[in-house]
Amino acid sequence: MSEQPTLRDMLARIQRLPALPAVALELLNTLSGGDPDVASLARRIAQDQAIAARVLRVANSPFYGLQSRVGSIHDAVVVLGFSAVRSLVLAAAVVTGLPGGHCAGFDPSRFWRHVMGTAVAAQSLAQRLGRPPESLFVAGLLHDIGRLAMVSVYPELFARALTIACERDCSLRDVELEIFGFDHTAVGAALTRRWNLPEEIIDALAYHHQPELGAPGGLAPIVHYADAISKALDFEEAEDTLVPRLHPATIDALGLDWQGLSAVLADTQTRFESYRLLLG
Amino acid sequence: MSETRTLPLAEALPGMLLAAPVLDAGGNVLLPAALAITESHLESLRRRGIATLTISAPAEPVEPVDIARKREEVRARVMHIFRHTVDDPGSQALLHAVLAFRQEQLK
Repeated sequence: MSEQPTLRDMLARIQRLPALPAVALELLNTLSGGDPDVASLARRIAQDQAIAARVLRVANSPFYGLQSRVGSIHDAVVVLGFSAVRSLVLAAAVVTGLPGGHCAGFDPSRFWRHVMGTAVAAQSLAQRLGRPPESLFVAGLLHDIGRLAMVSVYPELFARALTIACERDCSLRDVELEIFGFDHTAVGAALTRRWNLPEEIIDALAYHHQPELGAPGGLAPIVHYADAISKALDFEEAEDTLVPRLHPATIDALGLDWQGLSAVLADTQTRFESYRLLLG
Repeated sequence: MSETRTLPLAEALPGMLLAAPVLDAGGNVLLPAALAITESHLESLRRRGIATLTISAPAEPVEPVDIARKREEVRARVMHIFRHTVDDPGSQALLHAVLAFRQEQLK
């Protein structure tokens, strides 16, 4: 197909996309460790009212069960801790900062509901399995970010992919590979590498559909399962939702028993009801 | 959910749950609240001349047909979401856990 773009074309054009707010990129960089200047970051977050308002909406939701209302980012950091607020700010920044563009058949609300569901499922799995909840929340939040870039850069091609996937009732990723020659995992990994995100998050994005190829001990297996949990709990509210194929050895290796999985489902549902408040 | 109703003693049946303590004329507690009454309790209350009991009445039961229909809708929706992976070994735990979770939510 002569019109098929290469991944390199795609990446060159991504540079023209609206980027994440600077404060979000800074927060992402603090995920790698170090000693962030919390007070200064809190002040800067507070200046972005669209982000701050969404964060406070979730901070005041029943999930956190606070006795009194949190009225500012500074108070939210004091009450919930920097790490919890950082996750919320990143989620709000990604949702508000990366618009979906205009692509026929692409439903941004559906996309964000799935993403938010994956992020909270990954967080819940992390807590159950003793893995890093915040990195997994962020990996869940960004796991399909490549798709958003494809929608923005090649809206007509992506619209065609959506139509074909719908007609064939097959996985959208398979059609991406057919039409573009690459899929959203490759785009997402390249994009987040450009943002200098921690390698473990880039690896999770790159391999969430092929967790057996990810770095040993990495986060891809958990994002792989969280993606399916988010679909299975029907957060997309879409007729043609389809649970992706799961890699059996990867799921076995997570070692989650029936009781653990049931608890993760209930916890994910509860978290989702609060975190969806970030979506608008 | 349950509500309370007051019954003449003659209509009370073993197994009913007391919503309020049964008191004698002097205000002494004969039977505590939340007790499941037995035939011998009823006999004793008759002897003491107790006229009425306040019991917890279960809320109107949902029609079994209604529950069965909702369960089937939930099952059909979950099976639809898993339509390509219903026999996959990797999906079995998640499929069954989601089915159980969704059915539980109906209660």
